Amino acid sequence: MSSHDYDVAIIGSGPSGIGAATALSEAGIKGIVVFERETEIGGIPRHTHHPSFGLLVFKRPISGPKYIQALRKRCQSVRFETRTTVTTLRKDGYMEIATPKGVKTIRAKHIILATGARETPRHGRLTSGLRPQGITTTGALQQFIYGANMAPFSHPAIVGTELVSFSALWTLRSAGIRPAAMIEESSRITAYRPAALFARLLRVPIYYNSKITQIDGIEKARGLEIEIADGRHETISCDGVIFSGKFVGDNNVARASHLTLNPTTELPLVDQNWVSSDPDISVIGNAVHPADMGDHCYIEGLSAGKTVAEILRDGIEDYEVVEITHDAGIKLAAPSIVRLKRQEETKINISFHVNAPYSGNVTVKLGDEIVHQTSKRCRPARRITLKNVPITEAKGRDKCPIHVSLADI
Amino acid sequence: MKRAIGQNCGHSMLDTPTNAQSRSDLPWDVIVIGGGVVGCAITRRFALAGVRTLLLEKGSDILSGASKANSAIMHTGFDAPPDSIELACMKAGYNEYLDISGKMNLPTMKCGALVVAWDEAQLAELDGIVEKAHQNGINDVSLIDRQTLRSKEPGLSNGALAAVEVPREFVVDPWSAPLAYLTQAVRAGAEYRFNAEVTGGTFDGTNWHLSTDREVLTCKLVINCTGTKGDYIERICHEPEFEIRPRKGQFLVYDKSAASLINAIILPVPSPTTKGVVLTKTIFGNLLLGPTAEEQPGRENARVDHDVLQQLIETGARILPDLPTHEVTATYAGLRPATQFKDYQISANGDKNWIGVNGIRSTGLTASLGIATYVEQLCAETFGDLIRFEPPKTPFWPKMPSLAQGAERAYQTGDGTEIVCHCEGVTRGDIERALSSEIPAQSLGGLRRRTRVMMGRCNGFYCSARVAELTKGKLTPPLASEGDL
Ligand SMILES: Cc1cc2nc3c(=O)[nH]c(=O)nc-3n(C[C@H](O)[C@H](O)[C@H](O)COP(=O)(O)OP(=O)(O)OC[C@H]3O[C@@H](n4cnc5c(N)ncnc54)[C@H](O)[C@@H]3O)c2cc1C
Ligand SMILES: Cc1cc2nc3c(=O)[nH]c(=O)nc-3n(C[C@H](O)[C@H](O)[C@H](O)COP(=O)(O)OP(=O)(O)OC[C@H]3O[C@@H](n4cnc5c(N)ncnc54)[C@H](O)[C@@H]3O)c2cc1C
Repeated sequence: MSSHDYDVAIIGSGPSGIGAATALSEAGIKGIVVFERETEIGGIPRHTHHPSFGLLVFKRPISGPKYIQALRKRCQSVRFETRTTVTTLRKDGYMEIATPKGVKTIRAKHIILATGARETPRHGRLTSGLRPQGITTTGALQQFIYGANMAPFSHPAIVGTELVSFSALWTLRSAGIRPAAMIEESSRITAYRPAALFARLLRVPIYYNSKITQIDGIEKARGLEIEIADGRHETISCDGVIFSGKFVGDNNVARASHLTLNPTTELPLVDQNWVSSDPDISVIGNAVHPADMGDHCYIEGLSAGKTVAEILRDGIEDYEVVEITHDAGIKLAAPSIVRLKRQEETKINISFHVNAPYSGNVTVKLGDEIVHQTSKRCRPARRITLKNVPITEAKGRDKCPIHVSLADI
Repeated sequence: MKRAIGQNCGHSMLDTPTNAQSRSDLPWDVIVIGGGVVGCAITRRFALAGVRTLLLEKGSDILSGASKANSAIMHTGFDAPPDSIELACMKAGYNEYLDISGKMNLPTMKCGALVVAWDEAQLAELDGIVEKAHQNGINDVSLIDRQTLRSKEPGLSNGALAAVEVPREFVVDPWSAPLAYLTQAVRAGAEYRFNAEVTGGTFDGTNWHLSTDREVLTCKLVINCTGTKGDYIERICHEPEFEIRPRKGQFLVYDKSAASLINAIILPVPSPTTKGVVLTKTIFGNLLLGPTAEEQPGRENARVDHDVLQQLIETGARILPDLPTHEVTATYAGLRPATQFKDYQISANGDKNWIGVNGIRSTGLTASLGIATYVEQLCAETFGDLIRFEPPKTPFWPKMPSLAQGAERAYQTGDGTEIVCHCEGVTRGDIERALSSEIPAQSLGGLRRRTRVMMGRCNGFYCSARVAELTKGKLTPPLASEGDL
C-alpha cells in the first residue's frame, strides 16, 4: 500500500464541503484538499445571486456568492482545487480524479463526499410532448441569468411551487422576465403559503391541480398544454419551461462505488456522524438529504468535519450497526444507519422529509418500545428534525431497527 | 480546404454563391436530397467513385429524421424477409460497416442478441426463428435453453423460458457513423447544404433544377432519400407507387448504472408489424428500452407520451425486475419511414433521371452502406451514360472521436481543458473541436450528437449555461438570447 497523499479529501465545495473543511482545519488537520469540478467554488450558492442564504449562520439574509465568500474566509488555509472531478471511489481511501491534464489516482486517509443535489429535469419526469430548446431547470436558469447574463427565453412557464420554484421566479424577475404561469399538481403551493403572494404581486397566475399533457414547439418551445383536475384543458403560450424542484442527490460517484445505498432512495447510507458504510468515507449535505437549506448543510459540514478529525486521531472503535427504517409516508431520513459504540450513551438527531402533508405525532420506536414522540406539522420538501432521540437501548438487540413513523401509536 | 468547406455550408453561406457553382457553372452530377444515414452513405459512395455530388438537408444538421432516433443495432438480418432487397442490403451494409469501422474509429459493441420467449406460444416459435436465420445465411444462430439463458442473463425475470441466440447482432454509435460517411465524402469532393429544404423541381429533359427557399440547384440526377417525406418528394418527378405510413417508436434511456443489468441485446419474439420492445445497452454505456410501434399520420413530429412511457417501463420491469430502481435520463421518439409494403422501395426512373430510395423503415442504419452500393449499381445500369464512375482512389479515412463507453475520452487523456458536461464527461476541448470539425455542429442537436453534451441524467442542469457561452454565435437557434440582459 502506498502512503497517503492527503489526510482528508473533500469532494465538492458547496456549503457542506466548506463546513467540513473549516472544522477539520480548526481541529488542526493539515493535509486537507477540496476538489471542485467547476471553475469556481461554492456549489449552488455560486449561482444563486439573490439573498436567500445565511439566516442561521450570519443571522441575516445574504446572496449566495457573498455567503460563499464569507464562509471561505473561515478556512483560508485550506487548499481548493477547481476544475478537478472525482470520477471513481475505491476502498482504502483511493480515488480517481480528472483534471485538465488527465486522470490520476490519489489516496486520502478519509474522504468526504459533498456532491450536493439537483432538480429532476423534464426527461426524468417522463413529460409528454416534443423536445424543443428552452426546457430547463432552476439551477440551469440561475447559471444563465446570474452567471452568463443570458436568457434562454422571454416568457417561460415554471413547473412546481416548491421554495426553489419561487427562487426561479425571483431569478427571472431580476432579468425583467415575467413568466407566463406557475403549474402545480396539488391544490396548494408546496412552499410556505405567503410565497403565493409573491407570485400574485408579480401577476403570475398559478394553475393548481394541473398536470402537463404536452410540450409544444419544434426548435423552440411554443406552448404547454395542461389538464386541470376538472377535465379542462388549457394551452399556455410560453417559449420555455422551467422544471423546478423534485430534488435528487447528485450521487453518481457514490452510486458507481462500493458504498451501500438505500434500495428505495438510492442515497448512500450514513450514520449519525455522516460516516457511510465504508468507515473511511463520509457523505454530507444535500447529497444525502436532497434538499435542505444551505445553512443546514454548512452546519452539518462543521459537525461532520469535527467527527472526521476525531476519527483521524482516535480511529473508529468497535461498534454495532443498526438500521433506521421508516413509514412509506416518509421520503428519506438522515441518518439512515446508526453506529453504536460499546460504552457510550447515544442520542441522535434524525431529519426527514415527507411525501404528503402530515400533522400529528411522529414516533420513534425500538422494537415495541417508544423512545421518542413529538408533535410535528410536516410539509413536503421541508426538513423536519427530531432532536436528541435516545437510542442507546438499540444495542445488543440483534439488529432490531430503529423505526420512525407518522402515527400516534 | 477545411475553411472553404465550412463556409460553404449551412446558414453561413446564406448570400454567398457556392464556390463550386461559381467556379464552373456545370451542373452537379448528382444531388442527394435528405441527409439521413441513407443519404450520407449514398453521398459517400458516389463521391468516392468520383461523382460530383451535393447533399441537401432541410434540417440544421445531418440526421434530422429517423436516423437520429433509433435503437442503434447492427442487425445481421436473421429475421429479415428472405429474398428481399432489405436483406441483401442489410448483409452488405453490415459487412462493409465492420470492414471500415476500424479505419474511421467507429465503435462497435459486440454483445450479441437473445430473442427471448416468455410464454408457450412464443416458445413454439423459436425453432422457426432459427430456421429462418439459417435460411438467411446467418448460420451461427442457435437455440439456448432456460438454464443457459439464466446463466448468461441473470438479471432477467424468472418468466424467461428459452431463447434464440444471435451472436453477431451488435450495437453501434448511430450518429458518428453517418457523420463519418459524409466527412469522407466531403474529403472526396462532395458538398452539402444544411437548412436547404427542397420545395420543388423541374426536369428540362437533360437536367433537374431543384429549388430550395434560397436558390435553384442544377444536376443531372436526383436521388431522393427523404425518409418520411419520401412520397411527397417523389411527386416532384412522378406519382409514387407507395405511400409513406410513419410508424412512431418511443424510447426510454436509463442511466449508466442500469447497463449492468443485461449483457446481450434482449429482443422479444417479433410480431408481423414490429420487432417489438428491445432492451439493449447503448454504445455510450446506458440502457435503452423501446421502441413502441404506433402508426401516426404526421410526418414530422415525434412526440413522447407520459402514459405510453409508463407502460414501457412496466414492460421493461416484467423483463428486468430491477429496472425501475434506476434513473431515466432521456426519453425520445423516432418515426420509421414505413410504407404499405414490407420491402424497401428503391427504383430508378430512366426517363427522368431520378432514383427514389424510400421506405427504409426499420433497418436503415444497418443497411445504409449496402443500400449505397445497391443504388450505385442501379445507377450504373440505368444511367451509365449520364453518370461516370471512376475507379476508386485511396480515400481519406476520417478518424471520428469515439464516445463509446470504455473508449479513451479526452477528459481521461487530458486535453488541457476542464470537463463542462459532468454527466457525460465532455470537455471544453471536445465542444470546441465539434464546432470546428470538417462538418461542424451548427445546432444544439448536432453538437449533442457529436459530443454527448447535455445528454446525461441532469439534462443540462449543470452545464447548459456554460454550453450557451461556449457556443455563442455558432448555433441556430442559439441556446439563449445573446448579449447583455
Ligand atoms: C436550484 C437550487 C436552488 C437552491 N436555492 C437555495 C437557496 O436559495 N437557499 C438555500 O438555502 N438553499 C438553496 N438550495 C439548496 C442547496 O442545495 C443548498 O443550499 C446547498 O447548496 C447544498 O450544499 P451542498 O454542499 O450539499 O451541495 P452543493 O451546494 O450542491 O455543492 C456540491 C458541489 O460539489 C461539486 N461536485 C459534485 N460532484 C463532484 C465530483 N464528482 N467531483 C468534484 N466536485 C463535485 C459540485 O460541482 C458542487 O460545487 C438550492 C438548491 C438548488 C438545486
Ligand atoms: C424507432 C426506430 C428504431 C429503429 N431501430 C433501428 C436499428 O436498431 N437498427 C437499424 O439498422 N435501423 C433502425 N431503425 C431504422 C433506421 O433509423 C431508418 O431506417 C433510417 O434512419 C432511415 O434513414 P433515411 O436516411 O432513409 O431517413 P431519415 O433518417 O428520416 O432521413 C431523411 C432526411 O431527409 C430530410 N428531408 C426530408 N425532406 C426533405 C426535403 N424536402 N429537403 C431536404 N431534406 C429533406 C430529413 O430532414 C431527414 O434528415 C429504427 C427506426 C426507428 C424509427
